This record gives sequence, structure tokens and C-alpha cells, in this order.
Amino acid sequence: MTPEVSHFLKGVKQKGEEGKLLYVGESIERIDGLEKVLGRPVYTGDMLARGTLHAKLFHSSVAHGTIRDLDLSRAKGMPRVVDVITWRDVPGINESSAVIPDRPLFSSGVVRSTADLIGAVIAETDATAQDAVEAVKVTYDELPTVFDPVEAMQPYAVKVHDEGNVAKQMKIRKGDILKGFSSSSVVLENTFRTQFQDATPMETEVGMAVPSADGSVTVIGSMQSPHHTRAALVKMLNMPAEKVRVVQAFTGGAFGPKSDETPYDVCGAAAIAALKLKKPVYCRMDREESMVMHTKRHPYVIRHKTGVSADGKLQADEVELYLDTGAYASLGVFVIGRGIFHCTGAYEVPNVKADSYLVYTNNTYAGSLRGFGGPQAIFAMESQMEDLARKLSMDPLEFRMKNMLVPGKRNATNALIDSSCGLPQCVEKVVGSSDYWNKRKIFANQVGQVKKGLGIALLMHGNSLGPEGNDYAAVLLEVGRDGIITVGTGLTEYGTGAITGVIQVAAAVMGVPLKWFRLARPNTAKHRETGPTVASRTVVIGGNASRLAAEKLRKRLELVAADLLKVSQSDVSIEDGVAFDRADTTRSVGWADLAFEAHRRGVKMSEESFFMAPPAPWDTETGLGTPYLQYTWGALIVEVQVDESTGVYQVTDVHVAYDVGKAINPTGVLGQIYGGTVQGLGYAMMEELIHREGKVVNPNLADYYIPTSMDVPKNFKAFIVEVPGPLGPFGAKIVAEPPIVLPAPAVRNAVLDATGVAVNDLPVTSEKVLMGLKRGLQKASDQSSGAAK
Amino acid sequence: MALSKHFVTMTVNGAERSLHVDSTDSLMDILRDRLDLKSVKDGCRSGDCGLCAVLLDGKLVNSCLVLAAQCRGSVVTTLEGLVEDPLMKVLQQKFLKYNAAQCGFCTPAMLVAAKDIVSKNAKPSEDEVRLGISGILCRCTGYYPIFHAILEAAEERKP
Repeated sequence: MTPEVSHFLKGVKQKGEEGKLLYVGESIERIDGLEKVLGRPVYTGDMLARGTLHAKLFHSSVAHGTIRDLDLSRAKGMPRVVDVITWRDVPGINESSAVIPDRPLFSSGVVRSTADLIGAVIAETDATAQDAVEAVKVTYDELPTVFDPVEAMQPYAVKVHDEGNVAKQMKIRKGDILKGFSSSSVVLENTFRTQFQDATPMETEVGMAVPSADGSVTVIGSMQSPHHTRAALVKMLNMPAEKVRVVQAFTGGAFGPKSDETPYDVCGAAAIAALKLKKPVYCRMDREESMVMHTKRHPYVIRHKTGVSADGKLQADEVELYLDTGAYASLGVFVIGRGIFHCTGAYEVPNVKADSYLVYTNNTYAGSLRGFGGPQAIFAMESQMEDLARKLSMDPLEFRMKNMLVPGKRNATNALIDSSCGLPQCVEKVVGSSDYWNKRKIFANQVGQVKKGLGIALLMHGNSLGPEGNDYAAVLLEVGRDGIITVGTGLTEYGTGAITGVIQVAAAVMGVPLKWFRLARPNTAKHRETGPTVASRTVVIGGNASRLAAEKLRKRLELVAADLLKVSQSDVSIEDGVAFDRADTTRSVGWADLAFEAHRRGVKMSEESFFMAPPAPWDTETGLGTPYLQYTWGALIVEVQVDESTGVYQVTDVHVAYDVGKAINPTGVLGQIYGGTVQGLGYAMMEELIHREGKVVNPNLADYYIPTSMDVPKNFKAFIVEVPGPLGPFGAKIVAEPPIVLPAPAVRNAVLDATGVAVNDLPVTSEKVLMGLKRGLQKASDQSSGAAK
Repeated sequence: MALSKHFVTMTVNGAERSLHVDSTDSLMDILRDRLDLKSVKDGCRSGDCGLCAVLLDGKLVNSCLVLAAQCRGSVVTTLEGLVEDPLMKVLQQKFLKYNAAQCGFCTPAMLVAAKDIVSKNAKPSEDEVRLGISGILCRCTGYYPIFHAILEAAEERKP
């Protein structure tokens, strides 16, 4: 933590640490829970009214080319087809891109991937629209293609965009890499590759646009960031912001892509058609369309050259990270930062030289996905740590503990790790829970074809947006005359439960039980620009905005109570929904009466507070600085069981601990730990959206495997560690993304421990394990036949 | 291709419903679009995600894979038809307690499956619960909160 930051944080020091904390730290049922168990939330697809037109998007069938001819006549002539819209129908700027303006909504000539949209059929029914899409005839002149990010950087590679294939590059220059290698006695070089992962929210992308007679439009959809969606629509529609209202409906999972371009695509297509045809239009992606058209996790190629001294201390790490962002940069321009800032993981390396490149290819595009560059960077680093320990003949845990970040050490960006680091406590929890040292001894003497192994991975995860933009949020609290408190914010709930945390913070500050709180639908016409709901930042940043609003309301209510109770404000306390005289607690006024009295006196009973995190300064030339204001820490140990005759393996045990600063809602935190770990196990073991010549070959849930209830480990032990951080309310750190990061390296390392097979390209499939075992046998037999000669 | 119409009478959530359906209409289409039972979710239309699971004559099925025309005389139950069911109430409470409903999109199918498991086997093991919900995908919870909720509901309901 830099001095500037500490100074700032003095000004926002949290209430409550000293006194009794109600509602925070309690496992409270989520505010949207009751509706959900009753099956009653209204998702966008549940509000479809008769007479609504259906828009069906269609996309390129080639990975790179120009459209020679687009023949819409047959599609347009089909009964019940109303229109087909293309780039010519976009009233404003034909653009649907989150950061760099490199992506058109509809192609006007060039297609750079098979996910490139060409247009949308508008029909009376979904089935008709689908048939009409098949009747659209597109003729292409194909262009040369490139599908590998390293190859795409070569001078001979075809240019995906005129400006060249490197969309962004970043670097870290810490210490003196040559000096570091010269003091190393072991140097290890490895290359790691990661795959496309699909987010697979259970609800696919959907948007609905309803035009009004005054020329404005209301857009309702499944999304993470309604204000960003509005900004994109304002550009596409060439309309003033106040004429475009965006409302987030209940959203059935998101995990990243719903903060990127697909919500702009479905909402944009619906809005363009709705305004043109003056009818409500509904645009939904089916599963296949969603898996082809939305952003995925970036495949990375990562090279490490790492030097270690004879006593097992890391000396130098030279790292290259290449991101395949597909045809468009999307959020890759920020993923690259999180990746490089985490490239040496939870370890102190005095000399670091890292270079990262965000590279265009003709694959479908990549962007946000839970973890955001962290999973790839940590997979490579933790695999490298494992292999280094083996090379040094050190225990992998001991080697890690020797090098891990603890208060006083410095990470890859040279940020000083402060006393809010709970990594050692996390390690202690999982080592104890897994019976690590004892298991090590037992597993050292295994015989037979079924082998067990242990895998470890440690986590440092920079909190919130950091260098990914201004980190702010607004939260509106409105106390009604009946005492009901309506919480309004552009931050969205899409499953994480984070908004319940934001409300718990308000409840704790105001002294009012959660039963008085209601959540308003996020609506750009009503709620202030809030930035995106991403980076797990809702509780930390939104929680601070909520705290500020609650503090102001509490003060006003204390004044009203003081007047009613005929005491001074400092004599009044509000606890558990009752305002009372501290000197005589029998003299009190209940919450509903207090709210009514406040309204009767004309006291302002709504407050919208804005919180912005202090800047996270770092130097673009050296990559050094404080790109994050606090970190979440974690440790994972998994146990696997591998059948060496088939390569088939199971993860049998998971022991995991996260330092979340303060668990505002422990059950909510556990929900993120379970869910994130399982999604991470999917990434580790089975999930791969396979591209062949730029075409996604498995865009469905039969061929793209995500974990089912039969796949999750038998034993799962989760621990919450609480070392308060300086940024979040009550010391809270972020929790939603981190648990997805560690399973991939932990599984890879456990399989290596059990079998001696190191799989350096994700996912760690049984086929790769078996091939590795066979290669090992081959090597062994080569050696023995060599010896016989 | 001409679509033939079928006249189908079935009992849905206790009420007899008669409708003309197309030969290509799935049971899911009918439940969602004609009978307004929106707890039945559409996640893939190919039987892979299980979000459209309902009870058809006492069996848990993916309603997207059943043709409505096949359902003549059948008894269909969705979450909407189980809200007064005492076992369902316990399950709902436990889902709330364990944060087993997160984005909520798989929740109706999970609850119907949970009811199916516990009503047929008063004391299911964790393995039986895993198997019982294995046709329904959830991307939020990692399934553990759902196991905990179903097992505790079964435990509490035992006489």
C-alpha cells in the first residue's frame, strides 16, 4: 500500500469495527432468494408478449473474407418474415465494441471470424426467423487466415486488422534479470498453453426493445452492466442518452461475457428493429449462437525462464505471455494487464522481465471470463513452481513457503505486501486439513496401477478494477414513509449474491434489519452511471457507496429521533430497527414510526452516494507500481487418484482457503468458493471450446462438457480466513472470481505428483495423461534396451 | 411441410387442460408459451441442460425432448404446482438457507428433481442425490449447496 493510498483510506475508515456488528458477517438469506425458490423471477424470456417480433442474428461462415454478395431476397420473401436488418439499417455508428472501436455490429464487407455478425432476420415467430436465417445467402471471397497468436506476430502473417495484429503490449521490468540468472544455480524453461473456455451461463444472451410513441426506446435484457449497454446503444441508434432506457431483467448467470459485447448485440439488434418497425422486438441467442458469438476466456501461450539459487530462492523470471484475443480486442485490453501483473503469482521474485502481447487472430473473440487473465497466468507460474521444486528435489510445499509473499515482501510489480496479507494463514488451513505431510509419506510408497497424488497452488488476486478503469459505484437508498428501504444501483445481481452484501452493509450502518430492504431493478433512467458490474467489485466498491449513503441517512434519522425523544443527537442510537435514548433504553421509537416522522417533517429520506477508489498508480514503461489497492489470498490442495492403465483420474479431495478480509455473508462467500472451484475444475479437466480453422466445433452442451453433479469431488473442505483489507467496507476483499484460478494448476500438479506426467497444455484430459504415461514407458524401455546393448 | 394439429388433454398441476398442439410442439413450448408456466426454463432445447425438467406421470423428464402430442392423458407437474406441497416448502427453505439458488435459472428444475428424489427415497444418500440431479446443469453453485439443502430437507422430513 502506497502512502497516498493509506492517507486516503483514513478518510473512509469503516464504522463498526469498534462496536457490535449486526447484519455483517451473518449468513443471511439473499434478498432475491425467496422469489428464486418460488420459480418466480421474471427473466427477459419470461415477459415475451404476443405480437412481439423475433430477431434472429446470423453470422459469418468463414473465418476471414469479404462479402461478395449478400442475397436476402429469399429470406425476405418468406411468409411471416417482416424484415432483415444489416449494417445499412444501423442509424448511428455501426459499432459494438467494449473498449477499442474495432468491431462492427454488422459486417459491412469484411468478416474476420466466424462469430462476426452480418445481420438479423425479423419475423413473427422464432421458428420462422430461424428458417429465414437459413435462407440468407452470403457469398464470400475468402482471405488468408491465422489462428495462432505467436504466428500472428510474425511479419509474414496475414493482418486481421489493417493496423497490425498486436492490439496491445505491456511489460514489467523489475530489477536486473541478468544478475538474477547469474546468481541462479538452477534455470528452468517451460512453455504452457491454455484453451478457450466458455462461460456457459445457464441463461443465454437475450434482449428486448419496446419503442415508445415519443421516439424513445426501453430495452430490457440479461446483462451485467446496463449503463455500458446504454452507452453502446446510444452510439448505434444515434439517439440522446435520455431517450434510451436500459433495464436489467433477472439474469440467469453471467461470468463475464455479459459485461462484454453480446448484450450490446442482442439489445442493439432488437432496438434498431423496434425503432424501425415501431413494434417490440425480442432477440435471443440460442445455446449454439451464444457459445459461438460471445467472448471466451483468452487462450494463452506462456513461456517462463526461471532461475533459482541453490538454497531454493527464486532469483529471476523471464516471462512471455501471448493472448489470442481472436478477431477483436474486447476486454482483452484489460485482461492482458491482469495476466501480466499476476505472472509470478503469489511469490517474491527479485528480478522480473515480462512481456505480454494481445494478438488478433481469425478465431472467435475472447474477452471477460471470471478470473480475467489470472487463471492462465497462475496456471503457468504454479506449474513452473512445481517443476522447479522437483528439479531442486525439494518438497513443493516447502519450496513455495520459502518464496511466497508475506507482509514486507514485494510482488511482480514491486508493490509492497502489507499486513493485510493472509496467505500464510490460508496455507496453514489447507496443509492441516489435507494432512499434507502425512499423506506425502504415504504416497511416496505407492504400488499398483492406481496412484494418488497431491497438487498445490497459491493465490494472490489483485482486487477490483485497479488499472482497468475508474473504479466507482453509486448506490441509492430511499426510505419510504412505511419504512421500506429501496436499494437502487446500476450494479447488477446475476447470481453472485453480491447485492445482498451491499444491502447488509447498509443495514449494519443504519441499524435496520434486512427485512426492511427491497431491491429495485437496475434502470439507467433512474440510477446513476455506476460503471460495470465486473471484477467481483460489487461488495467492495458498491459496499462503500452503500455505507456512505447509509451514514448520511442514519444521521438525519438520529436527529429526528433526538427530537422525538427530546434528547440530543449524540444520546440517540439506532439498533435493530429501534431508535432509543442511550441513557434510558425504554424510551424508544420504532423504525416505521421514525421513517414516517422523518417524512412528515420533510427530511430528505433518499440518498444516492458515490464512491470512487483512489487511483492505483503504476508506470507503463516499467510495469511497476501499485496496480491494485488490496489483494485476496488463497491456497488450494487437491488430491487425485489416477488409473495408470487408462489415464482416467478423479479429483477426490479439495482443501481450499481464501482470505476474504471480512466475510460480509459467509454462506454467500462459500457459494462463491464452491461454484468458482467447480468452474475452475471444469477448466482444469474437461472444458475446451475447440476451434478448427476458426470454426467452433463443439458449441453445445453435449460436446462442450461442464461439470455435472457427478463430476464434483467427493470431499470438499472450504475455509474462510479474515485478515481485513484497507479498501472494502469492514475490511472486505473480493471473492467471486478468485476461486476459479487455482484448480487448473493444482490438478496439473497433482497428476504430475501421482504419475510423473506433466501436462502443460490445458485441459488436463485423461488422453493427455495416458499419452504422457505411454511416452514415459517408451522412454523407460528405450533406456533399458540401450543399457542392454 | 404441413403441420398436423393434435387435440391433447392433460392434467397440468392438478387442472385438466385441453389444447390443440402442433406435431412439432414440445411439452416445454406448451408449458411456457401456452400455459404460462415460466418456471420451466429453456437452456438448450436439446436435452443437455435439464433446466426444463418437469414431472411427467411421476417421472422426471426434460420437457424439451417430449412432444406435446405424446402427452395425451398425462399428468404433468411443474414447480408452480408444488408450491403448497409440504416437502417442497422444506426444500425451498433449505435452498434458501444454503444459498442453493444463486442466479435462479436452474432452481425450478433442481427443486422438482429434489422433490422427486426425496418423495421416492425418504433417506437418500449423497450419491443418490448426486445421481438424482445429475441431468440438470448448474453453473453457479458447484452443486454442494444443493446437496446440503436436499440432504437436510430429507433429514428433517423423516418421521
